[in-house]
Amino acid sequence: MGKAGLVAAISDAELLARFPDTWISHDNKEFYRGWLEERLLLNRCRACGYWQHPPKPVCRNCWSDDVEAAAVSGRGTVHLLIRLHQGPPAPGVDYATPLPVATIELEEQPGLRYTSTVVNCPPERLDIGLPVRLAWTERYGAPFPVFEPRPDFGGEADA
Amino acid sequence: MRNPVKDKVAIVGVGSTGFRRNIEGRSRNSLAVEASIAAIRDSGLRREDIDGISASSPAPGYMASALGLPSVTHYTSGHVPFVFAIVDAMNAVFSGSAECVLLYHSVYRAPAISASAARDPFRRGLGFGGSIPPVPSRTDPESVAGAVGYAAWASRYLHEYNVGREGFARVAVSDRSNAAANPLAAVREPMTFDDYYAARMVREPLSLFDMDVPVDGADAFVITTAERARDLPNPPVLIHAATAGLTDRNEEDQIPGLRRHGQHVVVESLRAKSDIWIPDVDLYFPYDGFTIITLSWIENTGWCAPGEAGDFLKQHWDEPRHRILINGRIPVNPHGGALSEGGTQGSGHIREAVTQLRGQAGPRQVPGAKTALLTPGGFFFNAQGLVLRAE
Repeated sequence: MGKAGLVAAISDAELLARFPDTWISHDNKEFYRGWLEERLLLNRCRACGYWQHPPKPVCRNCWSDDVEAAAVSGRGTVHLLIRLHQGPPAPGVDYATPLPVATIELEEQPGLRYTSTVVNCPPERLDIGLPVRLAWTERYGAPFPVFEPRPDFGGEADA
Repeated sequence: MRNPVKDKVAIVGVGSTGFRRNIEGRSRNSLAVEASIAAIRDSGLRREDIDGISASSPAPGYMASALGLPSVTHYTSGHVPFVFAIVDAMNAVFSGSAECVLLYHSVYRAPAISASAARDPFRRGLGFGGSIPPVPSRTDPESVAGAVGYAAWASRYLHEYNVGREGFARVAVSDRSNAAANPLAAVREPMTFDDYYAARMVREPLSLFDMDVPVDGADAFVITTAERARDLPNPPVLIHAATAGLTDRNEEDQIPGLRRHGQHVVVESLRAKSDIWIPDVDLYFPYDGFTIITLSWIENTGWCAPGEAGDFLKQHWDEPRHRILINGRIPVNPHGGALSEGGTQGSGHIREAVTQLRGQAGPRQVPGAKTALLTPGGFFFNAQGLVLRAE
């Protein structure tokens, strides 16, 4: 990865300093660099176009090692949905209101999924099948990718 | 599919500490040591005979030192769920790497999931299952990695098949009914359907009673050749077929779907290796670390069609005893399973199968039981299958 030079502005040292408690390797460093620029960069094969997540050093489909961290549209639908009534500690999460944890099937490729939460959505509207789009919040002083309902499917208008 | 090891290797010893939610003042290692000594004594072998170790925790070097095993020629570790250890020991005995292998698995409540464990100063800092975590790392809850993945796919199950939680409830109630007759079980008080539905949600749609019980305890086994087993005191239990299963996508949120994951690979492999298959088994042990896993095994093993496990369990419900009894004769996890005996990652299921096939299960004994089908593990990295039979 990194052959496309997508986010070269952030040095390795700065990247590691911004994510002190995250295991960052040569295979996922561009994925986390993308967070710092509020871009969701998933692993895409430049040889055959196949997407995969989490990042891996080769393409599962064609075994090319010419894989890059490429931006996804951020559009998808809720495929799996949990409401956590208890869970690990995290800033801004108290579980008094159950925390939605949603796996989003992204429109780039069937079965390509990304897991986070859904914000700006009334609990009664949140269900499997809901169309969503990427949004960003902050955690531990760095951007954190989440999803929200798509305005074209009845989500709230842009702030 | 090749299976030259079929019926060539036998389980000849079992030992267990039993499982409790509140064993205090003891280390994890002390539990594994106690179960291991019990298993070696049960086998009728001497410590000098044990030349192999297939461990979960503690490491083989610790155990050989703790038990004073003078000459060990094969040892491996890290096997969970427990069929990995069975396969390793089976292959070691079949190949000649070792003649008599000790296997053990210990479980220990972690402070993060047990209030009483959190009060134990000597458990401070332990991770999942009582493991020692490598380095501090952030724990974002917006993830389905690990055990949370089963709640995620439970949501998909309810959505795709448009069913309610009745199937989950039957798995939980049946396990509890069975545990009542098992003195090794951690939770033995009866559970009603009302109790099940009243339980608090934890990872909705899964509640407290959809999740296995965190316990302290250990199981151990001794495995040797079928030939040598015939000279030992207990009836041999033969390993007929064993397998594990991965697909091309195993991360919790990336598996192809409910119709394709590790369980499907296990069933294809085990069915090809085994001369014994459903419905002609006497005992059935689908894994039940979460209720959704049991429903999935029942469907993927072929007892019924996808999405129909809830109806299947209703049809095969033993109403007087509040438990599953397939075709009026095949009990499911007769020891109470992970949901009621305790979360043993499969060692408890295998121990109960051996006890039943020996005819030593006391009030739980299934009359004349000769064959057992076990499918430990879940969907992602750990689906497994095992067929055991009496000689």
